[in-house]
Amino acid sequence: MLRSATRSRVRTLAKHAKPVRASSNRFASTSTHQESDVVIVGGGPAGLALATALSSNPLLRNSLKVVLVEAGDLSKVANWTQPAGTYSNRVSSITNASQSFLQEIGAWAHVEEGRTCPIDEMQIWDGISDARITFSVQDDQALIGTGTDTPSRMSTMTENLNLQRALLHHLRGASAVEIADKVKVQSIQREEREGGGGWPLVHLSDGRVLRTRLLVGADGFNSPVRAYAGIQSYGWAYDTTAVVATLLHHPRTSFQAPNTIAYQRFLPTGPIAFLPLSPTASSMVWSTKPHLAKALLASDPAVLTGMINAAFRLPEVSLRYLHDVLLEAAAAGTPLTPHQLREEISWRERSHAIDSRSAYSLAADPTGVPPADADLLPPLVTSVQPGSAASFPLRFSHADEYIGDGAGARTVLVGDAAHTIHPLAGQGLNMGLGDVDALARCIQQAVLTGGDIGSRTALLPYARARYFENHKIMAACDKLHKLYGATAAPLVWARSVGVEVLNELDAVKAAMMLAAGSRPPRARPSGPQLGADVAAKGLETLARGVSGVRGLAEGVANVAGAGLQRLLQGLANSQKR
Amino acid sequence: MSRLARISQSHRTTAPRASSIINVASRRLHLSSATSGQSSVNPEEVAHFSRLSQQWWDERGEFGLLHKMNPVRMEFIRNKVLEIQRDEDESKVNEARPLQGLDVIDVGCGGGLLCESLARFGGRTIGIDASSSNIAIASLHAAADPSLAPSSSVTSEADSGSLRYEHTSVEELLAQRGPASFDVVCSMEVIEHVDNPRAFLTNCATLVKPGGHLFLSTIARTPLSYFLTIFAAEHLLRLVTPGTHTHSKYINPDEMTEFFLSTPMPPDHMASSNGVPKDSTTASRPWISRLYGGAPLRTEAEIRGMVYLPWKGEWMLVPRGAPGASMWAEACNYLFWVRRPLE
Repeated sequence: MLRSATRSRVRTLAKHAKPVRASSNRFASTSTHQESDVVIVGGGPAGLALATALSSNPLLRNSLKVVLVEAGDLSKVANWTQPAGTYSNRVSSITNASQSFLQEIGAWAHVEEGRTCPIDEMQIWDGISDARITFSVQDDQALIGTGTDTPSRMSTMTENLNLQRALLHHLRGASAVEIADKVKVQSIQREEREGGGGWPLVHLSDGRVLRTRLLVGADGFNSPVRAYAGIQSYGWAYDTTAVVATLLHHPRTSFQAPNTIAYQRFLPTGPIAFLPLSPTASSMVWSTKPHLAKALLASDPAVLTGMINAAFRLPEVSLRYLHDVLLEAAAAGTPLTPHQLREEISWRERSHAIDSRSAYSLAADPTGVPPADADLLPPLVTSVQPGSAASFPLRFSHADEYIGDGAGARTVLVGDAAHTIHPLAGQGLNMGLGDVDALARCIQQAVLTGGDIGSRTALLPYARARYFENHKIMAACDKLHKLYGATAAPLVWARSVGVEVLNELDAVKAAMMLAAGSRPPRARPSGPQLGADVAAKGLETLARGVSGVRGLAEGVANVAGAGLQRLLQGLANSQKR
Repeated sequence: MSRLARISQSHRTTAPRASSIINVASRRLHLSSATSGQSSVNPEEVAHFSRLSQQWWDERGEFGLLHKMNPVRMEFIRNKVLEIQRDEDESKVNEARPLQGLDVIDVGCGGGLLCESLARFGGRTIGIDASSSNIAIASLHAAADPSLAPSSSVTSEADSGSLRYEHTSVEELLAQRGPASFDVVCSMEVIEHVDNPRAFLTNCATLVKPGGHLFLSTIARTPLSYFLTIFAAEHLLRLVTPGTHTHSKYINPDEMTEFFLSTPMPPDHMASSNGVPKDSTTASRPWISRLYGGAPLRTEAEIRGMVYLPWKGEWMLVPRGAPGASMWAEACNYLFWVRRPLE
């Protein structure tokens, strides 16, 4: 008797503890809270990809109520079009790993492939010493071998809008996700509950309040979700601004490889990258000092074009001089004219003894038989697509944690909300997609074992899978930025020798490319297998070197092998033409 | 009834501090319910339950290891239930909600860690515990989750899982509901805390419907388990409050198998207790027919070890047929499943 009295009392307590839910359950019409399982804040690539991943999985689609909140107007993204031949200035290099994830969730089918461009090769060189490293698809295949999953490209240049539009189109077909756009998150509060186990309450500008089991912050660098979760982030702003623009140029001649080679030159002020989009258009990301970026954007389009061409070609000392000329002219109120710039450049070229027929000359003729060194440089830019030049500051930041705890429980961060990275390796978006892939898997695992997807126990594998992975990439990019920012002679020598040695070690390069997502995760060799391969290939390279030095190069296999390799390369090149 | 053991009142919460709070709380609860019949909530009591719920549901605290163990236990339950569904009728397989439409009970539910997951699997779940404060905590926590709402009968009861808690013992429940009331009976990390495990096992088994499942998890009585669960976890690392475990109460996997091999189930006095004459539907026989190389048939019973991997911070369900599993994998924490034969 006593027991049953206790029991009913307990129920009353439980009910009383959560008056809000009780009312929302019984009188749904008067409810102010909308219950949901996942609320994603942010309709950028990461947020949209997560919504797509959750809705494309049959198990999750049927068991989770997902709401995506975005302040902007997503119909503009969904209806985005651009005239053929012109491109948006925000582009990303989608790695094969990211692309295979996008294919898995069914979004890649909606990407307009005609607006994407494969990258077959990357050429990266030192702005001071010209030490160069080349990554190509062949390097990858040489190590891991060819097979059904062999990538035919290193990555795919894609406009961010093209990807976002594809994700939106895919989501439109899937009714499982509610998309609330043109709606701002006004505040996020923790539900008041006895015992402190309250869920996040997301107050929206349309008056709704979403009560959610899991709150996902895909809301960028200034993440409100991260602020709610009380997660600190560690980082700094680089004294660097990225200038982006869409470049127009002549097509490569029929004597050359098609426009599928990405170029990046590390200048002491920051790297300048040339990223192909089509035979006659490419995207540029030029990281440089903020005052110089300002002057470049303010200058005559023809001057900007000339400066870009010079940045890929002229020796560093002359570039510094040109930048000073540009800045002084701007300060004096008499901006540099295209004519003045041409004069300056041709004078500098003469003094550096750059042959006007060489690819390094800005006066080179883009038609006819190209000079022998033409593939070492991007094509000469003829103009900058009007309105495409823009800039943004660069920062490094990494959240201390990806999962909220205590008062900020039931939160998780993905993409830029978790990490902001230097764009020099083009890894920002790929890291975000990697996060989304891991989080969706983690959520699926939790649902499969009846777990609460908002609980720390369920989310911990996500943080474990991504935190160190992202940290590695971020640290590497940061160190590269700093290493190449230096001009001290010993350091330049050391990094140049390092790069040239590295360039000979095909196996190490292939391993680096693998780490950078050259292959989808499922097509990767296992860790020990890869380690053994890398070691074996390294040994081979060493043996080749030793035998060459000792004049023991009669090793028939070696010579034949090298000959065969050259023959194959020739064949591959002829096929490209 | 007198022959049947009662679950020790303090099981699972032997932490000195915690149990003192429980005692205070339950004393107050009894007192207040005795003095005032009508429900007027005392904020002090709510505050008490709240402090305790922090303990059960603090994923980084006292019960952190148990939280991490939960996905592995659920994986085992999922696998066995689906396996039997596939064997019997391919069309009955429900990958998304393996316990859909089944009556499920968790005996000794504590704060409700397992119960919530069972309900998410679609089971009509009841959690029982001998400690009233555990039940209060479990109810309080489940109330936050709309998917576990006991009032979800607004929609059709068969569609979604539901969760209810009762402050009772397995004996009382058996007396109240009669034998063969549940499709799935679970009792995780409980049997090593009860006084008369044999009677406890018999009662749990009696609750199982023909063709139903009994899931147990406990710790084997080995030097390794002493080292890991008592020496390391309680005394060395203080992951668990000292005194939580008693080594002599641990039960070995072969003892579990032996029990279901030799004991006819349900016991004779149970089968006839509710006046139903003994016929084929209540026939009493052991649930494990015979052993093959020391192990039962996989369709009758199964033992799987659970190993904590500190470097991953996760528990792992030891794969079937792992070499020498009985020596290491099943020498500490293990899961046991046995099925009541269809009759």
